[in-house]
Amino acid sequence: MATVKLTNVKKIYSGNVTAVHDFNLDIADKEFIVFVGPSGCGKSTTLRMVAGLEDISEGTCEIDGEVVNDLQPKDRHISMVFQNYALYPHLTVYENIAFPLRLQKNPKMSQDEIYERVTSAAQVLGITQYLTRKPKALSGGQRQRVAIGRAMVKDCKVFLMDEPLSNLDAKLRNQMRAEIILLRKRINTTFIYVTHDQTEAMTLGDRIVCMKDGYIMQVGTPTELFDWPANLFVAQFIGAPMMNTIKAQLTKEGNKYFVSPFGYKLEVTGDKGKLLAERNVEPKEIYLGVRPEHVTLLPEGQKGGFPVTILVNEMMGSEYHLHVQTEDGTKLVVRIPTINLSEEERAKMVSGTVINVTFEGKAMHFFDIETEYNLLTDNQYHGNDDPEAPIKSDEAKDELHPENNESAPAEEEKPIEESPKAEEEAKVEEQPGEEKPQE
Amino acid sequence: MATEKHSMSMSKKRTIVNTLSYIVLGLISIIWILPFIFLVLQSFRCENTGIVNYVFPKSFGFDNYIYLFSAETNFLQWYFNTFIIALFVCVLQTIMQFMMSYTLSRFRFKLRKPLMNVMLVLGMFPGFLTMIVLYQVLKTIGLTGDNAVPGLILVSVASSGMGYYVSKGFLDTLPKSLDEAATVDGATKFQIFYKVILPLCKPILIYTVLTSFMGPWGDYIFASVIAIGSETGLNVAAGLYTWLSAAMISDNFTHFCAGGVIVAIPVMVLFMFLQKYYVEGVTGGAVKG
Amino acid sequence: MGNSNDLEMLKKTKFQRFGINFVAFFKSIPQKFKNLGLAIWGGLKKLFWGFVNFFKTIGLTFWHGDWKTKVSYFVMGFGSIARGQWLRGILFLLFEVVFFVYMICFGGSYFSQLYILGTKEQIIDEATGAIVQQGDNSFNILLYGVLSLFFIVAFIYTWYLNIKQNKIAEEILKDEKRLDTAKDDLRAIVDKNFHKTLLALPTLGIVIFTILPIFFMVLVAFTDYDKQHALLFGWVGLDNFKQIFTWTAGGKSFSATFGQILLWTLVWAFFATFTNYFLGMLVAMLINKKGIKLKKLWRTVLVFSIAIPQFISILYVSQMFATDGLINGLFDGIARLFGNNNFQPIDFWGDPWLARITVIIINIWIGVPYLMLVVTGILMNIPADLYESANIDGASAWQQYSKITLPYMLFVTGPYLLTSFTGNMNNFNVIYLLTGGGPINTEMYGNAGSTDLLITWLYSLAVNEADYKFAAVIGIMVFIVVAVVSLVVYNIIPSTKNEEEFQ
Repeated sequence: MATVKLTNVKKIYSGNVTAVHDFNLDIADKEFIVFVGPSGCGKSTTLRMVAGLEDISEGTCEIDGEVVNDLQPKDRHISMVFQNYALYPHLTVYENIAFPLRLQKNPKMSQDEIYERVTSAAQVLGITQYLTRKPKALSGGQRQRVAIGRAMVKDCKVFLMDEPLSNLDAKLRNQMRAEIILLRKRINTTFIYVTHDQTEAMTLGDRIVCMKDGYIMQVGTPTELFDWPANLFVAQFIGAPMMNTIKAQLTKEGNKYFVSPFGYKLEVTGDKGKLLAERNVEPKEIYLGVRPEHVTLLPEGQKGGFPVTILVNEMMGSEYHLHVQTEDGTKLVVRIPTINLSEEERAKMVSGTVINVTFEGKAMHFFDIETEYNLLTDNQYHGNDDPEAPIKSDEAKDELHPENNESAPAEEEKPIEESPKAEEEAKVEEQPGEEKPQE
Repeated sequence: MATEKHSMSMSKKRTIVNTLSYIVLGLISIIWILPFIFLVLQSFRCENTGIVNYVFPKSFGFDNYIYLFSAETNFLQWYFNTFIIALFVCVLQTIMQFMMSYTLSRFRFKLRKPLMNVMLVLGMFPGFLTMIVLYQVLKTIGLTGDNAVPGLILVSVASSGMGYYVSKGFLDTLPKSLDEAATVDGATKFQIFYKVILPLCKPILIYTVLTSFMGPWGDYIFASVIAIGSETGLNVAAGLYTWLSAAMISDNFTHFCAGGVIVAIPVMVLFMFLQKYYVEGVTGGAVKG
Repeated sequence: MGNSNDLEMLKKTKFQRFGINFVAFFKSIPQKFKNLGLAIWGGLKKLFWGFVNFFKTIGLTFWHGDWKTKVSYFVMGFGSIARGQWLRGILFLLFEVVFFVYMICFGGSYFSQLYILGTKEQIIDEATGAIVQQGDNSFNILLYGVLSLFFIVAFIYTWYLNIKQNKIAEEILKDEKRLDTAKDDLRAIVDKNFHKTLLALPTLGIVIFTILPIFFMVLVAFTDYDKQHALLFGWVGLDNFKQIFTWTAGGKSFSATFGQILLWTLVWAFFATFTNYFLGMLVAMLINKKGIKLKKLWRTVLVFSIAIPQFISILYVSQMFATDGLINGLFDGIARLFGNNNFQPIDFWGDPWLARITVIIINIWIGVPYLMLVVTGILMNIPADLYESANIDGASAWQQYSKITLPYMLFVTGPYLLTSFTGNMNNFNVIYLLTGGGPINTEMYGNAGSTDLLITWLYSLAVNEADYKFAAVIGIMVFIVVAVVSLVVYNIIPSTKNEEEFQ
């Protein structure tokens, strides 16, 4: 039952290394917030500042309206689940879960009450039969449950989770993810969840805070981040395989907008087309972003597409991930559901085959070539005017260039991404608070 | 056929190498064990108390042991002294060292690095250098000579915080998230120390107790200085050493052997029981430097 | 750029690479000195600003402070007591009282004589042996003078803390926040300040029983404290150190003796460390070899020899090598077997070179079991797949050792080798109990012997010769040698130390 409010929070380590820059966030009561970003982006540091395990260098952190900067972790009424579980190896599962309860003073808990709470938590998590065991005798998933159990027996205002699933194997992770959703319904408190996995972020969060190099890149619901990424970084970080980015020219003919990647002219349709017109966006060179699932395969001979050569074919069961090359050498990733393909067509999907594809006109994204901001969203989060914000180096910019856009990274991989130039940021007007794209 | 021949020679070669290895290991074992067998044998020698150049006594007997327990020597007094010193030192030294290593491992405070550097620099001075002063100081309080036991305990314990390296190495391997989890769970720093970390430190505590118990049994340098001029204040090392001086050796060599056996037995038994912890400590300490 | 250079290096032969690294090392020396200079300069600057800050705080706090703070400048802890933090306040006050009582009643007079260490000689009536005039005791003056000096520094620091306390308390009150009460202070002992609680006793022990004595002994090196000046001694400046560097020809020169013993100490430390290291590794690898059975037995046999207190085994073995000892008995027996009834016993401890070699060999016997244990633990940590992959690549046993085992061992045990080298330089027990430093070399100063290390020489100078001034000088020299060796080696070995790595 608590709100969390972070105002201008900064973390500066000795030696002037700034891990978190000017972090502002309002978390509503009972909200499930996910901090996501590549490693070293400051997400864990921010969480640990909320927990009180790290000092807050500047700014304030409020829990339930009370500034907690100077409070010790134990006085902040928080629970926390650690990445490596942090179970006490010498205590049984029962004692591990009872540990925070035994330390509680005024009122001191009776043995019966502790027993009551521990067993009911164990029941919820399905670890009742392990209560007398030591953590060593448990599997990874069971340990994870114990860690969650220890965090949930305590009455807390905020429930913090620091990459709780990253030590589990893929199968268990999916299972635990579902259980966390159930747990959340049961505990019904404010959650802050840190992960580097965009799938976890998308599935768990009411809102996602996407971070990079200590800056917030975007805050929003999963749908917002997916459909209206505020900048190229978020666009590429959220969604798998990674979004294709192509340098292209945006042109305008009357009220219609066109993009011309690799010399082919494609019309921008749907909401995107309308919005471009509404905003009267100037025609210029842009980064065109197209998610692999929005590249569609055209039947042979149909017009409006362009030919690409298949380099690698990854058969995922329900879909193909095709790594293809266009005529000018640009590499793209294409995701094609297998369900629409005939046996015959499938047999053709091999290296060397030339297929005809096109981009969905209504599912294209447009990013400014300089600032990498989405041309169609208003709110920019790149470091909030901080002149120190990560500046894109020229060398690294090449990496982003479509020619080098080798293949989509696996989910866990840190996307190779660059951040906007600071000078441009100052120009962009900001509207803190709401971050919905224009209707 | 060819492969058969090849494998034959392989296994033959292996047999030869293994046989050679066993021979070397056997030799090594003999070299390392033999002196102790000689020591025991000579402690039973009755015909001559001096040093001789043969191994097997001409007449076996307990004369030397009887001598040790007689009123003629202070051996029992030395033995008692050493035992008391070892007992106190192993308890106090373990506490001091653990306090130091725990703090340096689990806390980050402003003076931590300077403190470690100071101790590193101090460790480069020969430890004996301080004895010259400490002897004079202890002398004025009357803790030398016949009263050397408390003096020796004090000297051995006082600076033992400087030997924190091995246990800090162990503590450093305990994940920091344990402390953090306990902090979030509402434990004070003392509760973290007492309820979370201390129970996990059994191996290193046993190692520290063992080494600090063994230390005083072999300490010659401090005891010989602090108990200088005394007959009854010595520990076994300094005491038995006097028996091997040029003037006394011909009367006391076999007594020394018997004394050595009696000193070695309890230490050895303890060591053999706790060997596992010792090995862990030694390896861990070396890797962490 | 660096990247392409590294790639270039790969083309070179081992010899060329060594040459390039060698040149690079010497090229980097000026840079290293520059860095050292910068570090020292930085330290000095920091110190200077520390002082500036110190006086600024004192001045400003007095200027801005209220009357409670101002009184605290004279009555320590007053401000704290007046603001309700009585526990701190009383401790401050108590410290001040103790300090002044000590200085006035006791320490002050010693401190005032520190510059000269006493003037009055003790005079004894030779006929009766009675003391006619009670002389000054320089030892006590120096000791209590130094103690007072420490006390004064501690007092100034505490006084400063007391002022800072007032400043902080005033600031907190100005912000209308709550001051820590005595109860909070008590609670902090086991919580916020728990590290201070834990450190208090060990640090106090180190200050009194190590820092103070070492500081004292360093001062002694600048006096003429020896047998002739046992009671009254005085400052002589650098005279004792000059002796080390003044080469006087002829017997009993301190400098020649020092040089010879230092050389032997380094040679000894080198051999003692590396013979043990490699032989210990050999034994460990032999025991851990695949296909060797009874591993536990072999190991236990060696561990057994660690379990016996070292002084017993060393003293016993030393007697085995005596002229009438077992070893000579054995040789005699062998000689008889070959019909030589006139075997002359070998005087292992009488001949300087023979004694030195014997000491090193016996040290192998003493040290190898321990090294075997250390090495075994590390060997087991080498990932087995390294060897498996080497086997597949067709590496011979020797290649596996020289390309995998040895580099890994050297990398992991680098710091350990360093500490065991410096440990061996100060290995009192082995040398003293085996040879007592002998055979005594009449050419050398202060009855030094051919196997004497600096540390055993220091011992005999202090205990047998009462030549404290030189003992102190040697102590300082040992420190310098150890520090130099450590610094150089530490910069060469790849640093494996990363404290946070595991946490």
